[in-house]
This record gives sequence, C-alpha cells and structure tokens, in this order.
Amino acid sequence: MSSTLTEVSRARPVGEVIRVRDGRVVSRGKLPQNVFMDRFAVEPKVQRVWDKSHATWFTLMAIGGGLFILSRLLGIEEQLGHLLGMPVSDLISFVLIAIGGLVLIWDLGRPLRILRALLNPASSWISRGAIADFAFLIFGLVLVLPDLQLGNTHPLASLPWNSQAATAGGRVFEVVAMISALVVMFYVGAVLGKPRSIPYWHSIAIPVQFVSSGGAMAMGMIVLLEVANGRSVGWRELVVLMVMLAVEFVALIWHLLTSTNVPGKRESLNMLLRGRYRVLFPVGVIGCGTLVPLLLCIVGLSARGSRPAVAVVDFVLVTCAGFALRLVTLRVGVFAPVRGEAR
Amino acid sequence: MTRWAMVIDTARCVGCQACTIACKTENATPADVWYAPVAEQVRGSYPSARTTFVPSLCNHCKDAPCVKACPTRALSRRPDGIVMYEQKKCCGSRACMNACPYGALHLYEGSRGETWQRGGRPEEMLRNRRAASRFSGRGEKWQMGQRTEETLQDRQAAARYSEGTIQKCTFCAHRIDYGIEHGLVPGIDPEATPACVVTCPAECRVFGDLEDDDSVVNRYLRDRGPTYTLRPEARTGAHVFYVD
Repeated sequence: MSSTLTEVSRARPVGEVIRVRDGRVVSRGKLPQNVFMDRFAVEPKVQRVWDKSHATWFTLMAIGGGLFILSRLLGIEEQLGHLLGMPVSDLISFVLIAIGGLVLIWDLGRPLRILRALLNPASSWISRGAIADFAFLIFGLVLVLPDLQLGNTHPLASLPWNSQAATAGGRVFEVVAMISALVVMFYVGAVLGKPRSIPYWHSIAIPVQFVSSGGAMAMGMIVLLEVANGRSVGWRELVVLMVMLAVEFVALIWHLLTSTNVPGKRESLNMLLRGRYRVLFPVGVIGCGTLVPLLLCIVGLSARGSRPAVAVVDFVLVTCAGFALRLVTLRVGVFAPVRGEAR
Repeated sequence: MTRWAMVIDTARCVGCQACTIACKTENATPADVWYAPVAEQVRGSYPSARTTFVPSLCNHCKDAPCVKACPTRALSRRPDGIVMYEQKKCCGSRACMNACPYGALHLYEGSRGETWQRGGRPEEMLRNRRAASRFSGRGEKWQMGQRTEETLQDRQAAARYSEGTIQKCTFCAHRIDYGIEHGLVPGIDPEATPACVVTCPAECRVFGDLEDDDSVVNRYLRDRGPTYTLRPEARTGAHVFYVD
C-alpha cells in the first residue's frame, strides 16, 4: 500500500507546518516568515513576522514609560515606596524597559548588531525608539542615583541634584527622561502605524490605542503600588485611569467603524469580530479590559472603601487586556492583495 | 542620471514560472525564498472565469518603505534607483518585511527555520552545483549568463546569505554592473539584463532606463500604455510597471 504525505495547515498564524504521513505526524517545522512565499496567489495575507515576543516588548515598554511619566506628573513617585533609597516606581520602569529592550534584542536576527539600530533616526521609528530607550535608561538612572542608599550611607549624595528634581540639573535630567519615556510609549505604535503595507495598522488609531492602553496599564500599576504601600488610592489617579481607558475605548471603536471596506483592513476586522478573535477582542479587550475597569473606576470614585479592591482588579484586567490588544493587533495584520479586487 | 525600471505585460504572461526559476538559479536563493514569484489571480465567475498572472518582484520604489523602516541603514537606494541590501549591516529587526507592501524582503532563518531541511544550505547547493557542472563537462561557466564567471557568482551568492538577516531582489545588480563595466547595455544585452527578463519565453518583461527616452522601457510604455503599479495606495513610487 502506498503511503501518502500530506501537508497540513501551512497558513496557521503561528507559522507552523505539520506534515502527516498515513495519519501520523512525521515532521513539524516553521514556515518562512515571509507569508508571500506560502502560495503564489493574489490574496490577502496575514503577517507572521511579529508575534508574542513583540507583543511582550510593546507591553513592557508601554508600562515602563507610562509609569515613569505619570508618577512624576502626579508627583507621587516618592509615596510609592523606596528600594535602596530610590523610588520604586522609577526602578520598576527602568527594569520593565530594560527587559523590554532585552526581549527586542533577543528577537533580532543578529542581536549583537543592536547598536547599529541607532543609525537611522531620520526615518525609522525603531531607530528613534532604540535611542529613546537608551536615553531614558541613562538619564532616568542618573536622575535617581544621588538617592542610592547602601546600608546607612548615601555614596552619591554629593551629586548636585536629587531624584525629586528640585535643582536645575535634576530638572533637566527629569525632563529628558520624561520625553524619552514618552517616545518609548509612542514609538511601538508608530512602527506599526507608519507603513501603508498593512491597512489595519496604517492608522493614527494604533499609536493612540497603544499610548492610552500603556497609560492605563501604568496607572493600574500605580494604584496597585499605592495599595501595596498602605496608601489610600487618590481620586486623581482614578480620574487619570478613567481618561486613559476612555481614550482607548474611543480609539478602538473609531478604528473598528472606519474604512471598513478597505482591502486588507476588511479581512482584519473579520478576524477580530467574526473570526478567530471574536471572543478575545470584543469581550476580552474591549469589554473586560476597557469598559469594566472604567465602570470600576466610577465605583471607586463614589465609594472610597472599595478603592483597594478596584485598584487590584483594574490592574489585572487592564494589564491582561493591554497585552492581548497588542498581540491581537499584530496577529490581524493583513497585507492587502497586491493587485485590485478580482472582477 | 540612470533610473532602472521594468515593465511587465501581464497580457503576455502564460504563468510558466520560468522567471521564478531563473531568478532562483541566478541568485541561488535558499529554499522557500523566491524573489520573483508569479502569483495567480482568478477573475470573474463561471462561465466567464479566467486566471490571470501577476509576476512580482521587488519594485525598487522611489519612496521605498523598507529603506525608511530599516533602523540600521542596511537597505539603501543606489543613484540608479536599485534598492540594495547589505547583510553585514542588518540586525534582523524585520521592520522592512512588514513595511513592504509587496512581500519582497526575506529573512534567511538558517538552521533556526525549516528552510534548510528541504534544500540544503546555499553553500552546499553551490558546491553540489559546481560538482555537477564539472561532471557534465560544462567547465567554469554557468548555464545562464555565459560571460559571468562562476567564481565571481559563487562569492556573490555565498556572501548574500547570512543567518538572521534580510535578502531581496536587486534587479540582478551584479549583472547590470558587470555589463556596464564591459560596455554592454542593460535591457538589450542579455548578459547585462536581469535573469527573469532574459528567461521569459513570452517576452512579457522589459527592462531599461526610465530616464532615457529611447530606452526599450520607454518605447514599450509609449506603445503599450497605460500602465499601473501594484498597491498604488501605498504610494511607494514603484519602478515596476504593469500593462494588461
């Protein structure tokens, strides 16, 4: 009896190819990342260049940048705890952005060439973001270093600034670090939003969604730190969280309702609303990750005693939804057919 | 100033994929990497359905999104309009792959991917081909591009594939440069013309200098127009034009 070799599911989003011979799996392998090589056909094609590691990178960058900016704009970084004498919120943002950077470097085809990624800030958002990452880590660390406490000593206390940016020098470091953090939050959305190749990504709504979702995740982290430090959650924090969630909600809905018939975007919307992500996106990201936390914030504003519970639940929901938003956005990136509609 | 461009007459294309294979042979690309695929598109419905073919390749765009997206300047546009890549500069961010609307950029995944399980590494492919060439008595010449010495191509092809980096169609820049160096005219002399153009049995591809009014490309455009480019909404300023 002759055996038959069948190739199963070359078009999985994760890019896996499974070969089956006589009902048994004989090999598994990765598909080439260029999805145009699957089938020589004029049709919409789902990108598979970027996936989980990029979603992780995007999420960590957004939380890290937002945490630094919002805690300093609200002037509460000193009230969120200290580690080695330095503000915990600042240290968490450094760690998250450093880990995000390492995830990005790990995912590069040639990780040792990362410094070359700083060479094209004139037109590449990845290059601008890489510069902002380094600038944030350098200026942010320099800003908080005078507060470093080892045992009972402050070895760098003689430096002419402190982490509260009370002096002109400290203020300069703080402003540069905050601008860099803002670029760090924004650039991942711009990386997707600038090229016209993938219609669903090519929209101002994507960076707006990513920045507002990043701000919401960062505010979730801030209110969680307040609860962890036994500090009462302030109304300002809840209002900022509400604003971030409201902006994200409007950007999500606006993006879902506009240009719905554009080739490429139409297929993306089908995947989001009627296909593989019909539960995760509308229910998980929009419902549980945006609307429910928004309602909980209103509850927290009206009932002060509920705020610790609201803070914890909001942090979990908003963070999970933030990651899911980024992952789903990457996975519904569809290249429009290279030639117009079939007539 | 020279500006290389290609015109593809889809009315002539018979979908034989000879250009696809010629490109693969010329550039010794890895398995699963095709610089010049011919895509099929079914148009209409029964009883008037028909299949049309869209030969595609890097469009060597004037406003190339891949060049803009590349963080390391590994992709660049030559003065003659050809978008080139330098693997030694590429960090493998793959931003170019998602920025290109035509799917013209490829990551050489090397042993990490499935690629080499089927076709072998390019160095091995080249060694095997060299051995076969000697065995069949063809000497040191390639079957295609007779005047291009094998050793030169070996080096070029081997240098192109560095694991974790990007590779793409270069309009066969090595043939163009070789031809110009030897007084040949790209688009006219086969040795100085991209392999896909030379091979096409239906002569549906035309190559030449867009800035030269008398070039074969401009004459073809004048005779056969109007033309269109792929994904015009992407506003890339593509240098590959199509006529139906």
